[in-house]
Amino acid sequence: MTGKCENKGEGLNNENVCISLPSKPEYVSIARITSSVVANKIGFNIEEIEDIKAAVGEACNNAVIHGCGEDSNFNVEFAIYENKVIIEVRDNGNGFTLERCPVPDICNPKEGGLGIFIIKSLMDAVEVKSSPGNGTIIEMIKYVSEDD
Amino acid sequence: MSLNVKKSFDREKDMWTVELIGEVDIYTPNDLKETLISLLQEKESNIRLNCIELDYIDSTGLGVLIGILKRLKNVDKNIIIANPKSNISKLLKITGLDKIFIME
Repeated sequence: MTGKCENKGEGLNNENVCISLPSKPEYVSIARITSSVVANKIGFNIEEIEDIKAAVGEACNNAVIHGCGEDSNFNVEFAIYENKVIIEVRDNGNGFTLERCPVPDICNPKEGGLGIFIIKSLMDAVEVKSSPGNGTIIEMIKYVSEDD
Repeated sequence: MSLNVKKSFDREKDMWTVELIGEVDIYTPNDLKETLISLLQEKESNIRLNCIELDYIDSTGLGVLIGILKRLKNVDKNIIIANPKSNISKLLKITGLDKIFIME
Protein backbone atom coordinates (compact mmCIF):
# COMPACT_ATOMS: atom_id res chain seq x y z
CA MET A 1 0.00 0.00 0.00
CA THR A 2 1.35 3.32 -1.01
CA GLY A 3 -1.84 5.19 -0.09
CA LYS A 4 -1.37 7.78 2.58
CA CYS A 5 -4.27 9.60 4.16
CA GLU A 6 -3.71 13.02 5.57
CA ASN A 7 -6.24 15.29 7.12
CA LYS A 8 -6.17 18.41 5.03
CA GLY A 9 -6.62 20.51 8.18
CA GLU A 10 -9.33 22.70 6.79
CA GLY A 11 -12.73 23.43 8.32
CA LEU A 12 -14.76 20.57 9.63
CA ASN A 13 -13.05 17.78 7.76
CA ASN A 14 -12.34 14.92 10.09
CA GLU A 15 -13.11 11.93 7.95
CA ASN A 16 -11.17 10.74 4.98
CA VAL A 17 -11.78 7.70 2.83
CA CYS A 18 -8.74 6.37 1.02
CA ILE A 19 -8.50 3.50 -1.39
CA SER A 20 -5.55 2.11 -3.27
CA LEU A 21 -6.38 0.19 -6.43
CA PRO A 22 -4.33 -1.77 -8.95
CA SER A 23 -3.75 0.19 -12.18
CA LYS A 24 -6.08 -2.03 -14.15
CA PRO A 25 -9.30 -1.06 -15.97
CA GLU A 26 -11.43 -3.56 -14.06
CA TYR A 27 -10.80 -1.75 -10.75
CA VAL A 28 -11.99 1.70 -11.85
CA SER A 29 -15.62 0.81 -11.12
CA ILE A 30 -14.70 0.28 -7.44
CA ALA A 31 -13.60 3.92 -7.21
CA ARG A 32 -16.78 5.07 -8.94
CA ILE A 33 -19.03 3.09 -6.60
CA THR A 34 -17.09 4.36 -3.57
CA SER A 35 -17.50 7.94 -4.81
CA SER A 36 -21.27 7.59 -5.04
CA VAL A 37 -21.48 6.17 -1.51
CA VAL A 38 -19.31 8.99 -0.12
CA ALA A 39 -21.25 11.66 -2.05
CA ASN A 40 -24.56 10.25 -0.86
CA LYS A 41 -23.33 10.31 2.75
CA ILE A 42 -22.42 14.00 2.46
CA GLY A 43 -25.86 14.83 1.11
CA PHE A 44 -25.33 15.58 -2.57
CA ASN A 45 -28.42 15.25 -4.77
CA ILE A 46 -28.73 12.58 -7.45
CA GLU A 47 -27.46 14.79 -10.29
CA GLU A 48 -24.42 15.84 -8.24
CA ILE A 49 -23.70 12.23 -7.31
CA GLU A 50 -23.74 11.30 -11.00
CA ASP A 51 -21.38 14.22 -11.75
CA ILE A 52 -18.95 13.11 -9.03
CA LYS A 53 -19.11 9.49 -10.16
CA ALA A 54 -18.36 10.44 -13.77
CA ALA A 55 -15.51 12.80 -12.78
CA VAL A 56 -13.91 10.17 -10.52
CA GLY A 57 -14.26 7.59 -13.31
CA GLU A 58 -12.46 9.89 -15.75
CA ALA A 59 -9.68 10.72 -13.25
CA CYS A 60 -9.15 7.01 -12.56
CA ASN A 61 -9.13 6.23 -16.29
CA ASN A 62 -6.37 8.79 -16.55
CA ALA A 63 -4.42 7.11 -13.72
CA VAL A 64 -4.75 3.69 -15.36
CA ILE A 65 -3.77 4.99 -18.81
CA HIS A 66 -0.86 7.19 -17.68
CA GLY A 67 0.12 5.26 -14.53
CA CYS A 68 3.06 2.99 -13.86
CA GLY A 69 1.55 -0.04 -15.52
CA GLU A 70 -0.51 -2.93 -14.23
CA ASP A 71 1.94 -3.88 -11.45
CA SER A 72 1.43 -0.61 -9.59
CA ASN A 73 -1.43 0.98 -7.72
CA PHE A 74 -3.14 4.35 -7.88
CA ASN A 75 -4.75 6.11 -4.93
CA VAL A 76 -8.08 7.81 -4.51
CA GLU A 77 -8.72 9.95 -1.44
CA PHE A 78 -12.02 11.53 -0.45
CA ALA A 79 -11.84 14.31 2.16
CA ILE A 80 -15.34 14.62 3.59
CA TYR A 81 -16.68 18.02 4.66
CA GLU A 82 -20.13 19.17 5.67
CA ASN A 83 -20.74 21.01 2.43
CA LYS A 84 -18.19 19.66 -0.01
CA VAL A 85 -15.94 16.81 -0.97
CA ILE A 86 -12.33 17.09 -2.05
CA ILE A 87 -11.19 14.15 -4.14
CA GLU A 88 -7.62 13.45 -5.04
CA VAL A 89 -6.59 10.81 -7.57
CA ARG A 90 -2.88 10.16 -7.57
CA ASP A 91 -0.73 7.89 -9.67
CA ASN A 92 3.00 7.35 -9.62
CA GLY A 93 3.34 7.02 -13.34
CA ASN A 94 5.41 8.87 -15.83
CA GLY A 95 3.14 11.86 -15.83
CA PHE A 96 2.42 13.73 -19.00
CA THR A 97 3.00 17.16 -20.33
CA LEU A 98 -0.17 18.92 -19.47
CA GLU A 99 -1.41 20.83 -22.40
CA ARG A 100 -4.23 23.28 -22.32
CA CYS A 101 -7.51 21.48 -22.11
CA PRO A 102 -9.21 22.33 -25.36
CA VAL A 103 -12.94 22.48 -25.81
CA PRO A 104 -13.86 19.50 -27.97
CA ASP A 105 -13.97 20.42 -31.66
CA ILE A 106 -17.34 19.23 -32.90
CA CYS A 107 -16.37 19.64 -36.54
CA ASN A 108 -13.47 17.30 -36.00
CA PRO A 109 -14.32 15.01 -33.07
CA LYS A 110 -11.52 12.87 -31.67
CA GLU A 111 -11.71 9.47 -30.04
CA GLY A 112 -9.58 10.52 -27.06
CA GLY A 113 -8.82 13.51 -24.87
CA LEU A 114 -12.29 14.14 -23.46
CA GLY A 115 -11.55 12.97 -19.91
CA ILE A 116 -10.04 16.09 -18.33
CA PHE A 117 -12.55 18.30 -20.16
CA ILE A 118 -15.43 16.26 -18.68
CA ILE A 119 -13.94 16.49 -15.16
CA LYS A 120 -13.60 20.28 -15.45
CA SER A 121 -17.17 20.58 -16.70
CA LEU A 122 -18.71 18.52 -13.89
CA MET A 123 -16.73 19.64 -10.82
CA ASP A 124 -16.57 23.08 -9.17
CA ALA A 125 -12.77 23.30 -8.97
CA VAL A 126 -10.14 21.10 -10.58
CA GLU A 127 -6.39 21.14 -10.38
CA VAL A 128 -4.22 18.80 -12.43
CA LYS A 129 -0.59 18.53 -11.46
CA SER A 130 1.42 16.45 -13.85
CA SER A 131 4.89 16.56 -15.21
CA PRO A 132 7.05 13.95 -16.89
CA GLY A 133 8.61 11.69 -14.25
CA ASN A 134 6.54 12.88 -11.28
CA GLY A 135 3.23 11.15 -11.76
CA THR A 136 -0.09 12.91 -11.81
CA ILE A 137 -2.41 14.29 -9.15
CA ILE A 138 -5.94 15.33 -10.06
CA GLU A 139 -7.65 17.26 -7.26
CA MET A 140 -11.35 17.96 -7.62
CA ILE A 141 -13.78 19.83 -5.39
CA LYS A 142 -17.57 19.66 -5.51
CA TYR A 143 -19.83 21.75 -3.26
CA VAL A 144 -23.27 20.67 -2.12
CA SER A 145 -25.78 22.94 -3.89
CA GLU A 146 -27.42 25.43 -1.54
CA ASP A 147 -31.02 24.77 -2.54
CA ASP A 148 -30.98 21.21 -1.16
CA MET B 1 -20.23 -3.93 -13.48
CA SER B 2 -20.74 -5.15 -16.96
CA LEU B 3 -22.19 -4.35 -20.32
CA ASN B 4 -24.80 -6.42 -22.09
CA VAL B 5 -25.39 -5.70 -25.78
CA LYS B 6 -28.48 -6.91 -27.67
CA LYS B 7 -28.38 -6.36 -31.40
CA SER B 8 -30.80 -6.90 -34.23
CA PHE B 9 -31.37 -5.61 -37.74
CA ASP B 10 -34.59 -3.73 -38.47
CA ARG B 11 -35.25 -4.48 -42.16
CA GLU B 12 -38.18 -2.10 -42.38
CA LYS B 13 -36.09 0.88 -41.26
CA ASP B 14 -32.88 -0.50 -42.73
CA MET B 15 -30.91 0.07 -39.55
CA TRP B 16 -29.19 -1.76 -36.75
CA THR B 17 -30.88 -1.62 -33.37
CA VAL B 18 -28.50 -2.04 -30.47
CA GLU B 19 -29.62 -2.11 -26.87
CA LEU B 20 -26.93 -1.14 -24.39
CA ILE B 21 -27.60 -2.49 -20.91
CA GLY B 22 -25.35 -1.70 -17.96
CA GLU B 23 -22.19 0.38 -18.09
CA VAL B 24 -19.62 1.29 -20.73
CA ASP B 25 -16.35 2.16 -19.03
CA ILE B 26 -12.62 1.70 -19.52
CA TYR B 27 -13.05 -2.04 -18.94
CA THR B 28 -15.70 -2.59 -21.60
CA PRO B 29 -15.13 -0.31 -24.63
CA ASN B 30 -13.32 -2.97 -26.65
CA ASP B 31 -16.34 -5.28 -26.36
CA LEU B 32 -18.53 -2.46 -27.63
CA LYS B 33 -16.11 -1.57 -30.40
CA GLU B 34 -15.83 -5.15 -31.64
CA THR B 35 -19.59 -5.60 -31.55
CA LEU B 36 -20.29 -2.42 -33.52
CA ILE B 37 -17.52 -3.10 -36.04
CA SER B 38 -18.87 -6.62 -36.62
CA LEU B 39 -22.28 -5.11 -37.40
CA LEU B 40 -20.80 -2.74 -39.94
CA GLN B 41 -18.84 -5.55 -41.54
CA GLU B 42 -22.14 -7.31 -42.07
CA LYS B 43 -23.99 -4.21 -43.30
CA GLU B 44 -23.08 -0.52 -43.20
CA SER B 45 -26.35 0.99 -42.04
CA ASN B 46 -27.46 3.52 -39.47
CA ILE B 47 -27.04 2.31 -35.89
CA ARG B 48 -29.75 3.14 -33.36
CA LEU B 49 -28.44 2.78 -29.82
CA ASN B 50 -31.25 2.27 -27.35
CA CYS B 51 -29.81 3.62 -24.10
CA ILE B 52 -32.85 3.27 -21.87
CA GLU B 53 -30.99 0.74 -19.70
CA LEU B 54 -27.54 2.27 -20.06
CA ASP B 55 -26.53 3.56 -16.63
CA TYR B 56 -23.14 5.04 -17.40
CA ILE B 57 -20.76 5.77 -20.25
CA ASP B 58 -17.33 7.36 -19.90
CA SER B 59 -14.98 9.11 -22.32
CA THR B 60 -13.51 5.80 -23.50
CA GLY B 61 -17.01 4.63 -24.48
CA LEU B 62 -17.76 7.96 -26.17
CA GLY B 63 -14.46 7.58 -28.01
CA VAL B 64 -15.63 4.24 -29.43
CA LEU B 65 -18.87 5.84 -30.63
CA ILE B 66 -16.95 8.71 -32.24
CA GLY B 67 -14.71 6.21 -34.06
CA ILE B 68 -17.71 4.26 -35.35
CA LEU B 69 -19.49 7.48 -36.33
CA LYS B 70 -16.51 8.59 -38.43
CA ARG B 71 -16.69 5.30 -40.29
CA LEU B 72 -20.43 5.63 -40.81
CA LYS B 73 -20.16 9.25 -42.01
CA ASN B 74 -17.92 8.03 -44.84
CA VAL B 75 -20.91 6.16 -46.22
CA ASP B 76 -23.37 8.91 -45.28
CA LYS B 77 -24.85 7.02 -42.32
CA ASN B 78 -25.24 8.01 -38.68
CA ILE B 79 -25.61 6.91 -35.09
CA ILE B 80 -28.91 7.55 -33.36
CA ILE B 81 -28.87 7.76 -29.58
CA ALA B 82 -32.29 6.97 -28.18
CA ASN B 83 -33.67 7.33 -24.65
CA PRO B 84 -30.47 8.34 -22.82
CA LYS B 85 -30.70 8.80 -19.06
CA SER B 86 -30.21 12.32 -17.74
CA ASN B 87 -26.57 11.77 -16.69
CA ILE B 88 -25.73 10.52 -20.18
CA SER B 89 -27.63 13.37 -21.90
CA LYS B 90 -25.63 15.79 -19.77
CA LEU B 91 -22.33 14.22 -20.80
CA LEU B 92 -23.28 14.35 -24.48
CA LYS B 93 -24.33 17.97 -24.10
CA ILE B 94 -21.19 19.22 -22.34
CA THR B 95 -18.94 17.47 -24.85
CA GLY B 96 -21.05 18.79 -27.76
CA LEU B 97 -21.55 15.26 -29.02
CA ASP B 98 -25.33 15.76 -28.96
CA LYS B 99 -24.75 17.88 -32.08
CA ILE B 100 -23.01 15.16 -34.07
CA PHE B 101 -25.12 12.15 -33.13
CA ILE B 102 -28.84 12.11 -33.88
CA MET B 103 -30.59 12.39 -30.51
CA GLU B 104 -34.00 10.81 -30.03
